Amino acid sequence: MNRDRKTTLALAVITVGFAALAVAFVRVPPRPGVIALPPLVSPQDLAIVPGTVRVSAAQLVSSGGDTSGLACYTCHHQDSPPVIQFDSQHHIILPKEHADLIFSMRNCAECHPPSDPVKLEYADDGSLVMPEAHRGLLAIAHGRNFRNENCYNCHDRNQLDQLHTPEGAKLSFDQATLLCAGCHGPNYRDWQAGIHGRTSGYWDRQAGPINRQQCTSCHDPHAPAFTGIIPMPAPHYLHPLPAHAARPESPAL
Amino acid sequence: MPPDPNLPPSDRASAGMTRRSFLRGAAALSVGAAAIAAGLAPLRQLGKFTSVNEFLQKYYKELTPEEMKVVLARIEDEVQRQYGIRPHVRDYKPMNGVEFVYALNLTRCVGCRKCVHACVAENNQSRNPEIQYIRVLQMPNDGTFDMDKGDTNYAPKSVPQPGFFYMPVQCHHCKNPPCVKVCPVKATWQEPDGITVVDYNWCIGCRYCEAACPYFARRFNFTAPSIPTELINPNMSYLGNRPRYKGVMEKCHFCIQRTRVGRYPACVEVCPTGSRKFGNILDPNSEVSYILKNKRVLILKEELGTLPRFFYYFDI
Repeated sequence: MNRDRKTTLALAVITVGFAALAVAFVRVPPRPGVIALPPLVSPQDLAIVPGTVRVSAAQLVSSGGDTSGLACYTCHHQDSPPVIQFDSQHHIILPKEHADLIFSMRNCAECHPPSDPVKLEYADDGSLVMPEAHRGLLAIAHGRNFRNENCYNCHDRNQLDQLHTPEGAKLSFDQATLLCAGCHGPNYRDWQAGIHGRTSGYWDRQAGPINRQQCTSCHDPHAPAFTGIIPMPAPHYLHPLPAHAARPESPAL
Repeated sequence: MPPDPNLPPSDRASAGMTRRSFLRGAAALSVGAAAIAAGLAPLRQLGKFTSVNEFLQKYYKELTPEEMKVVLARIEDEVQRQYGIRPHVRDYKPMNGVEFVYALNLTRCVGCRKCVHACVAENNQSRNPEIQYIRVLQMPNDGTFDMDKGDTNYAPKSVPQPGFFYMPVQCHHCKNPPCVKVCPVKATWQEPDGITVVDYNWCIGCRYCEAACPYFARRFNFTAPSIPTELINPNMSYLGNRPRYKGVMEKCHFCIQRTRVGRYPACVEVCPTGSRKFGNILDPNSEVSYILKNKRVLILKEELGTLPRFFYYFDI
């Protein structure tokens, strides 16, 4: 073998080597085998729950929902009335089964038949005396100065499951928003414009409906002001903060 | 050995090669080749993280609809490989005659942070490390709107606390956005409907935009995001909530996958107090039009001239 051939051979080997490197570079490493397609998660399962904090009687009636919960006698028997227990403060002890019961979902007429209207008692200073049976069960806290604690300001005297406006117009439970509007004009104006209260659905009315809430969907009419709620967790730091900087002055953004 | 002058010129050089110089050259070449191979070895792992197609992908605005289809299918494959779930990745286009505006009622906000966590769930944000688009500031009720006085880590038993008000801050989708101006590769831009978007495949992660944003609205993926499979939202959009890569910026995009089909963003739907309002400012009957016409409106850091599309307002 002469020198030229050797050189050619060496160059060929080097060329092949580089070609192999090039192939190794371009070749994508083997992917994991074909994965069986997992079932699609329905986007609805992850959709944000646009529910409200409570279900009002008005909502239930107007949506044609199950109103059987409004009647006490679906569980209790008329012959054997439930024994009501009071604590040492004469507050009624709510059974565990009723822990999630919202007062507004009760049917007043079950206890107060229209034939026997409730007589309100007033203390010497003119304030309403809360009936013992309602203590601890129903907080009448309507109005910052408790000025609206008379049941018959809103409820019809002879038919407690009906409402009436100060002018005397009769309203059913699912028209409660109109009753609220009688006093809370600015809020009703904003609500009509879509500014007050929770909304969900579609901003584009052509694409779909917008879900609006009635007043009593969020506010308990007997105690409309909200108490505080527990905040969701704060952002976590990657590293624990030193003790002296636990509450930094500037926001860690 | 002198070169033979009778040989053709092309052979003269090789004829001048001695055994020693050849061996030396061959050794040097093989060492060099080995070094190159060793140096390129990490690139062989490249396929696990990127592909030739991704590397050669064109700029978002230059993609034809057919090319976009290929890109979306590739991203679906990537997500399936990484998270074990097959998503729907779509490229939602802006609607005609729509400009989005956001309004937030500072009188009503109680600082419950439900919006923060709804946003995380909707937009496939990294759970570890935590990435959140919305920061809720607990501000002293002394008439200031200085963000530096806010506290993001408040954790009382119950909110709202007396003496404070709560101001959630997120991307303001400015009409004059400093973040877009500083981007050296135009990976972030304003869409015709007012949404400032980020192309996660085009971002180089220089974080200039994060520094430029006066509202601290941009987040950087220092690591690859980690999201449990069961928490993945499979309704994804290219410019929106598809999983991000390590080393790219992200931020609020008004839930592009919801708002461009007419729905409300997740934070609006979840707000229990109804403080958050969203809509089309070009529609005179929309909620946001009513707010801007009838309410007292605050623009955060108005003096900077960023012209945000995000307004705070008060009930009067």
